[in-house]
Amino acid sequence: MDTNTHINYEEQKVGYYKVLVGLLLLTTLTFVQPHMFFESYTFVTQLMIGALKAWMILMYYMHLKGEKLIGWTVAFSLVLVVFFFLVVIADVNSFQFKDVSHITSQPHIDVDYHHASHEE
Amino acid sequence: MSNSSNSGKSYLEAGETHYAIGHPKSVFMQWMLTIDHKRIGLMYAAVIFVFFFVAVLVALSIRIELFAPGAQLFDGDSYNQAFTLHGVIMIFLFIIPGVPAVFGNIIMPLMIGAKDVSFPRLNWFTFWLYIFGALIALSSLWTGNGFADTGWTFYAPYSLNTNTNVITTLVAAFVLGMASILTGLNFLVTIHRLRAPGMDFFKMPLFVWGIYATAWIQLLATPVVGITLILALLEKMFGIGIFDPSKGGDPVLFEHLFWIYSHPAVYLMILPAFGIMSEIIPVFSRREVFGYRTIALSSASIAGIGYLVWGHHLFTSGMSDLAKTVFSFLTFFVAIPTGVKFYDWVATMYKGKIILTTPMLWALGTMITFVIGGLTGVTIAMIGADIHLQDTYYTVAHFHYAMLGGVVFLLFAGLHYWFPVMFGKMYDEKKAKIAFYLNFVGFNVLWFPMFIAGYQGMPRRYFDYLPEFQIYHQISFFGALIFISGLAYMFYVLIQGMKHGKPSGTNPWHATTLEWHLPSSPPPLENHSKVPYVDFRPYEYHHGEPVVKFDYKTMKRID
Amino acid sequence: MSHEYVPEIAVDRDGKKHEVQGWQGDFYGGKLGFWLFMLTEVMMFGAMFLVLTYYYSLHTQDFLDASAHLNRLLGGTNTVVLLFSALTMGLGLLKMRTGDVKGAKTMIWATIILATLFLGIKGVEWTEEYTHGVFLGLDALQSGNEHSRPFGQILFYGMYFTMTGLHGFHIIIGIGLMIWLVKRIDAGKVSPHHHILHFNIALYWDLVHLIWVFVFPYFYMIGAGDVTGGAIHGH
Ligand code: HEM
Ligand SMILES: [Cu+2]
Repeated sequence: MDTNTHINYEEQKVGYYKVLVGLLLLTTLTFVQPHMFFESYTFVTQLMIGALKAWMILMYYMHLKGEKLIGWTVAFSLVLVVFFFLVVIADVNSFQFKDVSHITSQPHIDVDYHHASHEE
Repeated sequence: MSNSSNSGKSYLEAGETHYAIGHPKSVFMQWMLTIDHKRIGLMYAAVIFVFFFVAVLVALSIRIELFAPGAQLFDGDSYNQAFTLHGVIMIFLFIIPGVPAVFGNIIMPLMIGAKDVSFPRLNWFTFWLYIFGALIALSSLWTGNGFADTGWTFYAPYSLNTNTNVITTLVAAFVLGMASILTGLNFLVTIHRLRAPGMDFFKMPLFVWGIYATAWIQLLATPVVGITLILALLEKMFGIGIFDPSKGGDPVLFEHLFWIYSHPAVYLMILPAFGIMSEIIPVFSRREVFGYRTIALSSASIAGIGYLVWGHHLFTSGMSDLAKTVFSFLTFFVAIPTGVKFYDWVATMYKGKIILTTPMLWALGTMITFVIGGLTGVTIAMIGADIHLQDTYYTVAHFHYAMLGGVVFLLFAGLHYWFPVMFGKMYDEKKAKIAFYLNFVGFNVLWFPMFIAGYQGMPRRYFDYLPEFQIYHQISFFGALIFISGLAYMFYVLIQGMKHGKPSGTNPWHATTLEWHLPSSPPPLENHSKVPYVDFRPYEYHHGEPVVKFDYKTMKRID
Repeated sequence: MSHEYVPEIAVDRDGKKHEVQGWQGDFYGGKLGFWLFMLTEVMMFGAMFLVLTYYYSLHTQDFLDASAHLNRLLGGTNTVVLLFSALTMGLGLLKMRTGDVKGAKTMIWATIILATLFLGIKGVEWTEEYTHGVFLGLDALQSGNEHSRPFGQILFYGMYFTMTGLHGFHIIIGIGLMIWLVKRIDAGKVSPHHHILHFNIALYWDLVHLIWVFVFPYFYMIGAGDVTGGAIHGH
């Protein structure tokens, strides 16, 4: 289907450069964010920026825009990954034996790492 | 690439195939290099049934060991290796390729009127990848410290610490997983792209729906376990800490990731098998299938919901109470679409003209065994019951009823049903029926006592047991003998049919789907000489006779 | 594909003709197949990110400490390198589609050079970490000895080497694919009218880029705010 459409190189090229500039700006944002804003939410903010970059790459570089079937398959697999994340992370976060399990050692519990493995 | 779609020769004849590379003269090399979906499917069948028999013999040795308390054949360690070998072969080498690799390859393209799968060369590569994986798995029998003794689940941290050959087995499972992924990928594209003109999704035969739903599981679930095995591998080789509690890793995470694949994998096994059931029931009831859409969509929704319930394998593994409750609840939901299918099949048979051929017998037998397997599954989806029954023979009996009495029985049903398409000949129906009864009776005698033993506390994966369980194991042993003789007899009858059977003609069962409207039986290299236009539903019967008729020269409808 | 494939025609009951889609020369099928393949990569890396997040929530502070010590300058440079390589790859495909085969080849070579640069920088980074005693198999990442890092750091670095390693492996495969692509172009097997191979390899390269878009912040940036290596956050 795509093989004999007539496309104009110069016109299309502009699109690629625009996306490039966008990605470069976002990359810069990545670097300044930890020192400039949302400092206490660096983890989430960084991933949001990443998601934005990923969206641009998917839509424009990978031409996902306008792909119906392929778009749905991508969406389906992403939803699955998100579901796995939600469940597994929820499980580890509501683990009942957090305070006694030796793999959940928090910094305030003074665990002697050097002996951790011998004590078992 | 140009010869002969109309030459009328069967695809089994020398030279009647396309090759991945070159133009080999020898018949042997012609098979090794073939890219014809039918030949590849046959080769899968040959290989997986060999593995099946190997694993059955290992199972027999397990049963002999369990004939009496104490050690007879094995000590504890080699017993561990024996059930691991049995499980690994049955799961990774036999039942996961199983129905899709054999009938997905041979029959699915015929059903949708395609000349081959979308990527025939990839299909060839996939087959050899599977063989390669199988060789790696077998090689670990003789190298290193012997075959893995972890059980087929490779649970951490034991799998990280044991010095048996787990590394090789993990690599093998990864390679076999890749093969499974590529099979699914190929089928997905084939079903999306190569359906005959006019055949929309709701005109596809239900077997194709089963293969389609399965392919999504193969594609999206397998990579998760693949990478998990790689992480376990890296842990064993470099000690990266993953899953190892002595470095802060969490073994429960391994179990999560393992079952994120392996639960959907049981639907990967059963969905195409259900597809076979949905083909056989309407044909031998001579009635249009009841609730076509509900069956099709239930395949899709089982595949979907199947992704959401893996946690029921972790009820006793230290998962949080919150997650346990959620997973127990979700698991009950999977039973709904499965139940819908059963009612649809029964409704199809109601007032139908039931013809008890061998494939139909296998299908009906499966309806009994699978219901037992399925309902006992629901009982252990309840957290309370499962705390008691997990890791007992109750669970082992449950999954043998589901996998052997469900998937494998339906695989056999398909084998009898599509035998004429594959070989153009017919086996001896009378003998084949005797083989069925032997299998059916043997199977139930083999596995039913294990529900009771398990319920009373017989744990799984033990070579020794308390004397009170002996009676069950002994009954079970005799069941195994009957069952295995039944298997041997069944294959004998089929092989006799292959060699000396009477010509079957193209449509001996008066079936309606496209694989029965081929120009010859066995079909020629590129299948349908002309592709029909599909403007009919897959199972149209009127007064017990197929509605749609073709002029086989032009493949135009003449009814 | 030595001679042109002629699709078959199916005729319905009204005599209307319908073209039968064959597996030969199915551009959309090739594209769909490759996207499906990429979804399997998404699931694989998705699962690894899941592992990472799991341990992040178990050992948050250790993760931030370890992250703070990665080399953000080199990692950032690599991010930019990959960004430009995605551009050259995209422009190469565009040139191919508009008939400029020579230009397309130049762009592919440019991509290969950038990819090699990426690997070089990665190599420098790993070497540097090795000399600091942090590498797979070294004492710092094993438990129970005097150099042992805390649990969370062992896991962080374990995943860091695993995931950047697997990503680097994909880069190597990508370079191989691009060299093969150039050969196919030279042999006339890939041309403006038959460029599915080029199309799919370009997709692959975008995927490799896409994975890095998440690998980078996940490892290098989450602890970037902790200039002191996290010490001030200890309660
Ligand atoms: C002749 C038929 C068969 C017999 C006699 C048989 C026997 C057994 C026995 C006794 C066990 C339990 C071992 C233990 O826990 O101590 C077992 C485990 C198992 N079987 Fe079978 N089996 C047969 C067929 C199959 C089939 C067809 C499949 C799958 C397609 C299968 C899959 C498994 C699996 C996955 C396990 C668990 C292995 C483990 O614990 O890691 N079996 N089998
Ligand atoms: Cu399950």
